[in-house]
Amino acid sequence: MKKGDGGKRLGLTRHFRPRIATMKLNERSVVHYATCDSPPDKTGFLFKKGERNTAYHRRWFILKGNLLFYFEERESREPIGVIVLEGCTVELCESAEEYAFAIKFDCAKARVYKMAADSQAAMESWVKALSRASFEYMRLVVRELEKQLDEVQGRPKSARKPLLPALTACSKPAASSTTGPPSSGQSLASTAPHANSVTWNQAEDMQLTTGPARENGVAWNKAPCMSNGCAEGFSVPWEGKGDGFRPPPLPPRRRGGSGSLESPVSPETECFSKLHDWYGMEVAKVRTEWLQNQ
Amino acid sequence: MRFNEKELAFLSRQPSEKAAELGMRGPKKGDVVKKRLVKLVVNFLFYFRTDEDEPIGALLLEQCRVEREDDQAFSIVFLDEAERKYLFECDSQEQCLEWIDSIVKASYEFMRKNLIFYRTEIHRLTGKDPLEQYGISDEARFQVNNGHPPL
Repeated sequence: MKKGDGGKRLGLTRHFRPRIATMKLNERSVVHYATCDSPPDKTGFLFKKGERNTAYHRRWFILKGNLLFYFEERESREPIGVIVLEGCTVELCESAEEYAFAIKFDCAKARVYKMAADSQAAMESWVKALSRASFEYMRLVVRELEKQLDEVQGRPKSARKPLLPALTACSKPAASSTTGPPSSGQSLASTAPHANSVTWNQAEDMQLTTGPARENGVAWNKAPCMSNGCAEGFSVPWEGKGDGFRPPPLPPRRRGGSGSLESPVSPETECFSKLHDWYGMEVAKVRTEWLQNQ
Repeated sequence: MRFNEKELAFLSRQPSEKAAELGMRGPKKGDVVKKRLVKLVVNFLFYFRTDEDEPIGALLLEQCRVEREDDQAFSIVFLDEAERKYLFECDSQEQCLEWIDSIVKASYEFMRKNLIFYRTEIHRLTGKDPLEQYGISDEARFQVNNGHPPL
């Protein structure tokens, strides 16, 4: 086994000590992620070749993010297992089984996960979905859109303000990307209604509650992949203006606004309850759609 | 629940944006703070004994919350069992804030929200869907209606 890069980076001497125990994982929470409300990226039945018992078993699969969960039955409450897809490649494979494909990894002695769909279309759909499931891929796309948004807004770097708490650049990808110049890691350009961020930061995944120290995010600006300027406020519902716990004063209501400037994502939309209603409707609508698609 | 441990271990050896020796305390009663090499790779937080190559464990950073505990400490709490805290002690306030920031941004779902926001915003400003040129407009994972509200 090779020495990890992490050790070299820190200049530590690392020893190889073979581990007997299995790696720990926060399994309960991983299962929670699998079965929680957030809609999956893809679900369906697939045949999966067993490890020891080399027959193909029909399982119910749920793809969420970069994780592929498999259940004994569609109604099962907990998955039998999960395949972390980061770093994998998905290939069609030669097999007696029709519509077969394989999930492969680059590491030594990695297991090859052989799968089979029950139609050509299903196979193609799964192969596509799985090959785009990685975190790195998502990060690349986000970077690209970030760049595009910057260009569209044509703002100089110094003028950029953090958008919503969540919307700041990620640092360099682990595997170096070849999609063009490295992202300068700029933080976001446009503004969005504060109300917006309040609502959604209350939402499921990530929340950050912090103590009194709410200074400008000095910290991550010094991270390896620099991010320029302002990073503050990602963590609080309000665009940070110092203490981060008091909402900034509302901008003056604009008159003569024909509704045309207002939209769920327009900074011109200042009426929080209207925004709230829009989002409420959108969410209700898409939830219905999603349920219907199940 | 089975998981592909070997591949996860391989992932833990990839270059990471964030790795440091921190004090770490597990969530169980009686757990004490121990020095660990903590390494953030995509949406996993790996932790190693400081002189070992193989991680002791990994934390998937989805559905979790990061909280400042102290000047120099933060905790990670998973939404399904909020009483259980993983505590991390840093060497400085700055380091602590950096880690908090990195971990919050390390979730896949977080990135998805960003993407959806950018997509919507670019579309609003230009009238064009920025994903079209890549042929990925219809990917489920990029849809506004993937259950997450548009930003």
